[in-house]
Amino acid sequence: MTNTASVSGSLEPDVTARPARSEPRKRRYRRGQLFGLAMLAPTLIFVSVFFFAPIILTAVTAFTNMTSATGITGGAYLITPTVVRELQQQGFAPALVQALEQQVIHVDDATLAAAREAGVAENFLADIAANLSGRQFASERDFERELKQFQSRPRRIRDLKLAIEPFTESILNQRFGNRADATAAVYSVAPDVTPAELDTVLKNSYTGWVWTTENFAKLSADKESLRVFLNTVFYVSTTLAFNVLVALFMALALFYLPPTTGSVFSALWLLPRITPVVLYAVMWKWFTWDNGFIANLAGYLGLPSFNYMKGSVPTAWTIVILVNGFVGASLGMILFSGALRAIPRQQLWASEVDGASRLQQVRCIILPQLRWPIMFVTCYQALSLVGSYEQIWLTTNGGPGRTTTVWSLEAFRTALLNYSGNLQYGMGAAMALVLVAGGLVVSIFFLRLFRFNDLVEKPRIEL
Amino acid sequence: MAILHKPVVAFGAVLLGAAAVNAMAEDYTITVWAGGTNQTSHYRVDAIVMAAELLEREASVLGEDLNITVESQVWSGWDDFKQAVTLAAESDTLPNIIVSGHEDIGPWSQAGAIRPIEDYVDFDAWPLNQLYDNLIDVASYNGQIWGIPQDAESRVFFFSKPKLKAIGYSDAQINNLSERVRSGDYDLYDMLDDVKKMQDEGVVEAGMGFAPRPTNGPDYWQFYQSFGGEMVDADSGKLVFDEQAMTDMYQFFVDAVDMGVVPRTYLGLEWDDWHRNVAAGNYGAWHGGTWHYSQWTASFGLTDFFDNVSYSLIPAGNKAGHANAITHPLVYLLSSSGSDDDAAIAAELIAIASEPRINSLHAVESGHLAIGADQVTVPLYANDYWTSEATEKLLPYANAIPNNADFGIYWDAMFQGLEAAWTGASSVEQAVSAARNEVTSALGSGVIVR
Amino acid sequence: MTANFSKLPVLIILTLISLPLGVMYLSLVVDSFTNTPPDSLVPNEFTLEHWRYLIDPTLVGNIWVATVYTLIYAVSMAAIVIGLSATGGYALSRLQLPFRRFFLAGILVMHGFPAVTLIIGVFLVLKFIGLYDTLAGIVLVRAALTLPLGIWVMKGFYDAVPWELEMAGLQDGAGRFTVWWRIIVPQIQPGLMALGALAFIDAWGEFVIPRVLAPTTDFQVLSVFLNSISVPDSVEYNFNIYKAVGLFYTLPVLVLFIVFQNRLMAIFSGGTKG
Repeated sequence: MTNTASVSGSLEPDVTARPARSEPRKRRYRRGQLFGLAMLAPTLIFVSVFFFAPIILTAVTAFTNMTSATGITGGAYLITPTVVRELQQQGFAPALVQALEQQVIHVDDATLAAAREAGVAENFLADIAANLSGRQFASERDFERELKQFQSRPRRIRDLKLAIEPFTESILNQRFGNRADATAAVYSVAPDVTPAELDTVLKNSYTGWVWTTENFAKLSADKESLRVFLNTVFYVSTTLAFNVLVALFMALALFYLPPTTGSVFSALWLLPRITPVVLYAVMWKWFTWDNGFIANLAGYLGLPSFNYMKGSVPTAWTIVILVNGFVGASLGMILFSGALRAIPRQQLWASEVDGASRLQQVRCIILPQLRWPIMFVTCYQALSLVGSYEQIWLTTNGGPGRTTTVWSLEAFRTALLNYSGNLQYGMGAAMALVLVAGGLVVSIFFLRLFRFNDLVEKPRIEL
Repeated sequence: MAILHKPVVAFGAVLLGAAAVNAMAEDYTITVWAGGTNQTSHYRVDAIVMAAELLEREASVLGEDLNITVESQVWSGWDDFKQAVTLAAESDTLPNIIVSGHEDIGPWSQAGAIRPIEDYVDFDAWPLNQLYDNLIDVASYNGQIWGIPQDAESRVFFFSKPKLKAIGYSDAQINNLSERVRSGDYDLYDMLDDVKKMQDEGVVEAGMGFAPRPTNGPDYWQFYQSFGGEMVDADSGKLVFDEQAMTDMYQFFVDAVDMGVVPRTYLGLEWDDWHRNVAAGNYGAWHGGTWHYSQWTASFGLTDFFDNVSYSLIPAGNKAGHANAITHPLVYLLSSSGSDDDAAIAAELIAIASEPRINSLHAVESGHLAIGADQVTVPLYANDYWTSEATEKLLPYANAIPNNADFGIYWDAMFQGLEAAWTGASSVEQAVSAARNEVTSALGSGVIVR
Repeated sequence: MTANFSKLPVLIILTLISLPLGVMYLSLVVDSFTNTPPDSLVPNEFTLEHWRYLIDPTLVGNIWVATVYTLIYAVSMAAIVIGLSATGGYALSRLQLPFRRFFLAGILVMHGFPAVTLIIGVFLVLKFIGLYDTLAGIVLVRAALTLPLGIWVMKGFYDAVPWELEMAGLQDGAGRFTVWWRIIVPQIQPGLMALGALAFIDAWGEFVIPRVLAPTTDFQVLSVFLNSISVPDSVEYNFNIYKAVGLFYTLPVLVLFIVFQNRLMAIFSGGTKG
């Protein structure tokens, strides 16, 4: 609080300005604007960094094939035996293939000098020069075994390995951070590689991500994504119906019941909204599990007793809808209660004098007046249900099978959480982008519907 | 002329090495992260702590002052652990040592998240020279050794002895069962018939006859192998998608569902429920891992395991396949974060942690198998009936899932298809073709479809 | 109200649909103080043993450390939300800014849209600014999620302050900042406090963000702590201890909620009033 205030204060240095009246109007206007921007600046920065930047990054990532294997910050050039084998299968000349994969260890004046420069101890180098000069080895392991016989060898094995490196000539399994280094390396072992061949070698050995639109092609072609999409539609519409209907019933009931009874129920229904989600989810597990409350109760009553959360598709869906429905119902309940209190009592009394029953009262007087809150709750909840996956993740986890998997959960799992550890950032981002696009469409519709201009009438203070 | 080595690093390291001789105090903090770790497998981290103490003592004998602080974090699951490691790799906050499944070597080495451990340790010296060669192969990728096996196991098929007896098996027949499985005489469909019989005769509750692993795991590749599938082509090193084997494997689980021996909504069952049912003897046949033995006996109150449970390889599915087991060793990996010296110390700790006596603590407590030949001479390990049984009877037939940067994509597709077929969301043919399309569109020429 | 209405059927329906919640919350409290024999629904003995974790960190880990981190997390997040909503809401309520309508529409959309879908993008941002796996990072991200609601609500509160107050201050020669700080802020203080309470409650229960964006135990918050002891594969999986920890975890927000109940009700409905 003080922090923000002082920031704003420093941007508004002259807090005891001359009387506003005597200031020229234009200058006052500019000062007002500046002050406004200063007040808004921290928010703007926050919103750009944590809303707009993620949206843009999601959109960018959606057009790549980024995975945990390619990394995010760009790749390296790495000529591995696998790459070489692929080149061979593509019909590369055997001489070139051999040049790429060969590994030779020379002991000669040049490599000894290189080793000296790299800091290998002199007495060790002297032993190497005396015993192994002019020799060649086909593998580091053989050379290493020779070196281990010298008394002067470094005691730490890592130092020995580092001493071997200057003698080794190979580009196999070396990481090159950029294209220029990789090109130079390929030329150093295969001077007469053609530009086309070089290009293929570099392309095959690149470990990073590339731009692609395949994510979207795959999403539209994949039957599974259609299923997940339909799941999402089902989930959002049923939960929404539950939310709105229960909230409406609750609000009406609380309106007519004595305040003390009403407050007990309204407090109970607000609990899911403030209960930490981890605890809330496990309470449902306790309620529905194999030896949980419902299973035990069903056992007493002679009904089928099983894991209601994961044991069958209809019960799993019921639980998912209830878990999310109970959290969302309180919002509608509060809003509707507020709107009900705003209805002039005289109207209700008058209708009673006319002999209207409660149901008639609700249908003819109350419901028409609740039209806007109902639409608001519907739109708002639809938007938040489309993107929420926490509760499903922590309860059914999309199961049994993948029957209760919704789009946002699938996006999260694809990008960030799956058993094999194969995190497909690109694909997950593409799925999230679809949600963002859908959310924007709903939001625009939402703003139109609620006559946004009325909500944001001009500020009342003069500038 | 040598190309691309790192003279600066080398120089620095040698200097530091020289400094060590001058008895200067060296302080290192080595961080270890391990996934899939529960109360019986704490030696994954504790072995590194013990190794640090040994290394400090060795240094002190040589007149050096070496201080190593080991910090650790363990995850009980795999998905959140792999997420943490992958995101840490992106933001340069990796620990020095990662304990994970060997299949991660493919993607993580491509992404540059790990260093080849062969650059830091001596495979000619004890204890690394006594490690089983096939496990070293499992820890290798692209011609380099990236990790050191931390444990080995075998994935096993279990039968309930009392239930088999109840449907007319004699003791001799039960004892002979694992041999019949091995020879291919008793296949998966024979198993289905037996557990169906158990259910029909009321010795096993409906839907409890057959209880495979409730979640995704390497185990499901064993069933693919049971129907003749191969995961990788030996000649080209490419992944293999065997349509026939995949179809037969999916069909097997659909048949099991149709026979009513396993529920249509079985996948995703909580492990806790599964363990409890196993320990209570509620299932007719099930499959799990050698390490589950220690969980059942230590935590879930299964006291007389050997009187109640018979075990074997996973039976063949048909004539095309064969009885098999998969070992899925965890490996100690050396991350690319930290200085070269940190990595060198971390690698030495890993090597020491692989000593037979230290590794046996983990193997026996957690029901895992030996990583090296010398371990069978360690009394603790040799006298443990279960581990030596499993080492003898199951491990020799075990292979491993391939190390391949793209295997995760194939794996996800295989399991998604299995889920779709199992739950009846799509037919077996549709599920297989969806999985095939997924794999071929993602991997192109990197996969061979048979 | 009047008599042409029988309360009983309504009460019965109300009780029936509230039953799952009632049973769950009642058992949360009861089970944490009692033991229940297996396969029964009724507890048979009173005990405090499930609360021993408060003094014995060997049971489930040290809950006080997690509590302190959660407090730091929730308080700093609430402070940011209050500060930014107070300034941003004022600017949008009172001042003729370019793109004002656009801002308001944007804020409203962000308020409705569950930004947790963008978690991949948020991770990338944190990675680039170097705040991945830090307490500061998750505080900022969580604050950003609550900010649109906060601004919208505070704009509503500012709109309700008569502008004559402000004009009087300006005409007396005070600067805009002084007027805002001395005259306007005291008027909306109840709103700020309620918003702070709401932000605190939101942060207190947050799970996905700390779990994904700050996974190491250096500063484990209670939600992650609670989740880690609910792993069903683990040996010491004790549901009653879990419930006791859960109750402990919920108590602070419950108290806060009761204290601020009426104000919070108004804020939960934040989006409707201009």
